[in-house]
Amino acid sequence: MATAVQHYTSYKARPFTREQRDTTTILFGGLTWKHERLVQGVFNNLNYKAKPLPNITRADLDAGKELIDVGACCPTIFTTGSLVNFLKTEVAENGKQKTIDDYVFLTAGACGPCRFGQYHESYEMALDGMGLKDFRLFLLAQDQLDQAPEKGGGLEINMPLSLGIVWAILCGDMLTDMEYQTRPYEVNPGDTDRVMKESADYLFEVFQKRPIHGKKWGLLAWHFLSSYFADALRVVKKKFDAIEVDRLQVKPKIKITGEFWLQTHEGDGNYNIKHWLEQEGSEVMPPPVAVWLGYLLHTPIWRLQKKAVVDRKVKFKMAMVRGMERLYVGTYNRFRKALGNVPYALPDQEELKKLASPFFHYELRGGEGHMLVGKALHAHLHKQANMTCELSPYSCMPNTMSQGAMANVQGRYPELLYAPIEIKGDAEVHALSRCQMILTEAKKRAQSEFVEAMARTGMTIEKAREIEAKRPELKKATYRIPHLGYASTAANYVMHLAGAKAAAV
Amino acid sequence: MQTWFGKKASAGSPPPSPRKDRSGIRVGIPKVLNVWSTSQFWVGFLRDLGIESENIVFSSDTSEEQGREFGKGRGTVDCCYPVKSISGHYGELIFGQKKKINIILSPMIYSLPSFMRGHVSETLACTRVMAGPENIKAGFMKESDVFADNGIKYASPFLSMAEPDVVPKQMYDCLKDVLDVDYAEIEHAVEAGYRELRAFNKRMRDASREIMAWCARENKPCVLVLGRPYHMDPGIGHEIESDLQAHGYPIVWLQYLPIDDDLLNWIFGEEVQAKKIRSPLDISDVWTSSNSSNTNEILWGAKFAARFPWITCVLRLSSYECGMDQPTYTPTQKIVEAAGTLFFKFGDLDSTKPAGSIRIRIETIVHYLAKYSDKIIQKKLALLPADCPLLAEKEKTLVAAASNQP
Repeated sequence: MATAVQHYTSYKARPFTREQRDTTTILFGGLTWKHERLVQGVFNNLNYKAKPLPNITRADLDAGKELIDVGACCPTIFTTGSLVNFLKTEVAENGKQKTIDDYVFLTAGACGPCRFGQYHESYEMALDGMGLKDFRLFLLAQDQLDQAPEKGGGLEINMPLSLGIVWAILCGDMLTDMEYQTRPYEVNPGDTDRVMKESADYLFEVFQKRPIHGKKWGLLAWHFLSSYFADALRVVKKKFDAIEVDRLQVKPKIKITGEFWLQTHEGDGNYNIKHWLEQEGSEVMPPPVAVWLGYLLHTPIWRLQKKAVVDRKVKFKMAMVRGMERLYVGTYNRFRKALGNVPYALPDQEELKKLASPFFHYELRGGEGHMLVGKALHAHLHKQANMTCELSPYSCMPNTMSQGAMANVQGRYPELLYAPIEIKGDAEVHALSRCQMILTEAKKRAQSEFVEAMARTGMTIEKAREIEAKRPELKKATYRIPHLGYASTAANYVMHLAGAKAAAV
Repeated sequence: MQTWFGKKASAGSPPPSPRKDRSGIRVGIPKVLNVWSTSQFWVGFLRDLGIESENIVFSSDTSEEQGREFGKGRGTVDCCYPVKSISGHYGELIFGQKKKINIILSPMIYSLPSFMRGHVSETLACTRVMAGPENIKAGFMKESDVFADNGIKYASPFLSMAEPDVVPKQMYDCLKDVLDVDYAEIEHAVEAGYRELRAFNKRMRDASREIMAWCARENKPCVLVLGRPYHMDPGIGHEIESDLQAHGYPIVWLQYLPIDDDLLNWIFGEEVQAKKIRSPLDISDVWTSSNSSNTNEILWGAKFAARFPWITCVLRLSSYECGMDQPTYTPTQKIVEAAGTLFFKFGDLDSTKPAGSIRIRIETIVHYLAKYSDKIIQKKLALLPADCPLLAEKEKTLVAAASNQP
């Protein structure tokens, strides 16, 4: 029998051994620079060398398109291109072998059948195309905190690493919420960005010096119970205290939703749309990564409910999941409290499900599932935002489905301002002009809210300035403005100054 | 290939009695997406509940006319054609029936009862496929409830068809009021549905085996279609394989490849023994994220084609903007071509059949099949053990002799 044919086999990473840890840098990416900086601290804390990939640029789109199969969604193209461009630079500067030896790339996996779970196929194809098939690429399943030791033991995906990353994400969300609630109103331009940089550097140190108490359950308990991170966030609060803001500027509040990578990203990958919205005179409500983690934590409850007829241990399992969920939300709220409760609370997953149910089944998986519908309705009905801007990658599979279902939502709620923006990466003018059309209406609504609040309370700008002069804490970035029935900050601020009760929603 | 009507009441335990009279209820099912691989489940399920065969109405094959006449203005978003075309199917069931439909049953199939289950991570449906009904429904409800306006009940059960033990509850939650059924009836009907589906799949696999055995006996090539179940729809797959069949080449679809132990052991046995794979249905050697049911099957089909001697050519069908297919383009081609099997991809298939270009490509394929099939068969035969289970003893000897030739 002949044996000459070598059947195709997919990419298999070479081992990354424990001995190679000191000389090998773990590359990662996919979040904001703040989150990535803190995650870097977690890696360093566990004696790994780690480095986030440079922020995404337009050039990454071109590099990605060159090397992967046609028809990929833009997050796949951008993230592949980002890795490609980094490696190209390294190869040019240090040579192929040194690049292969000095770096490994860690990427998230899972997400069921959506292409997100298959990004690594694109990375592998790109590595093959670059002649770097020996470069090492590892998958981090986002729904497993403790995985079997990865090949070679160089990278251990265990509780200390996974918990560190989750806590870094929560703290990153806190910083992001503070940033986007402060910058639009800062009196001295640049203050927020400066404080953000200082805060991220400070928290980086905090994560780098995180004490490791126990290996598994002890460590888990320490993360939930220790005041280590909350204390650090109190230090961050003091930094933000120094920023003076003027919340009498009327700005529409724009909630960002969409595909996970695109909504989280800050840069060319989504036309820098959050920054652009701020430049256009808006306040942006950024999407916390914690909502996604909360969704992952909550969905087993729904699955278990279905299994109730065939699984006797369901009640116990559900109690366990609910307990973990309470601890998770409790930790998030503790962090919020450390920052004066300025960051937004997490939405209740059951409420998102209930709101989305008539339009999109909550068990449909892939991407953000029913949450896109739920979040848009949540923001609208609770008057959290004047407009929802949904960022959808071109050819994103799950996102297009929930976006289609939004036609039904809009039929039922015609007053909901919804801007679905398709992002291809290379059609910026088209996307932004589409967003601007709806933003015009959002601005009008914010202005109407402000006028209404002034009329209801009899407040004037002069009176407001007098109150501010008497109570300087009002002008601090960390002063929490209660939600008094309006979406825009200025209207709520006027109500608050006047001591008015919540407007009828 | 499929029959789109019920044949006879399924065998098995008698239905719970007394059963309500549902003989007058007409149920319309959009013949789209994964209904192409589960249709017989629906036939068995509904018949067991007392719905008459003639009252189980599948919409017609997809066509541009159907979309124009019944789906125009109902689309809510731009996406792949197999999902977009559902608007026409819904519309046809609402507006295009001589005898009125009472219920539209459009399942959201979350996971599939794939033959690969247990050998892969998951057997989930594509995210667009499972959510398609919610998307299309929106187009019929955004201004007013078109279903209710036409006296039709709309039912869209969310189904984990890969987990038969949870399906009765999922069905019951959705259909208890729509069909006025109790849980025991549903449980019985689900069982009947699975039985019908298994029997149908077995018949189809046996038929494929027969074709392949003929090819083996006659030493003739056949062609494997690598596509998703809905590519069997003439309006989606554009009957490209039929054009090739007209040239005398037998066609088999990956969905109905034979999976008998003797055949799989012949093809994959050595790799299992060498621990390259865990079982003949394992695809971990070629694909890491084995979550998507149809993607898994496509990759396994590619592996099968790469090894089975008499499949000398693979036709890859893929619809425009298919996000599930996109990451598999290169891997499937590399898998198939590793041992010299011919690979031809028809990608970006949309609503219009590009008849001219298809004809030219079919001529090219026929040319290559005629020129290279014998060599491909010999080459692949030489890679496998001599005892092909598809051959009678006499033929086995001949093949063994051929495989020993240099």
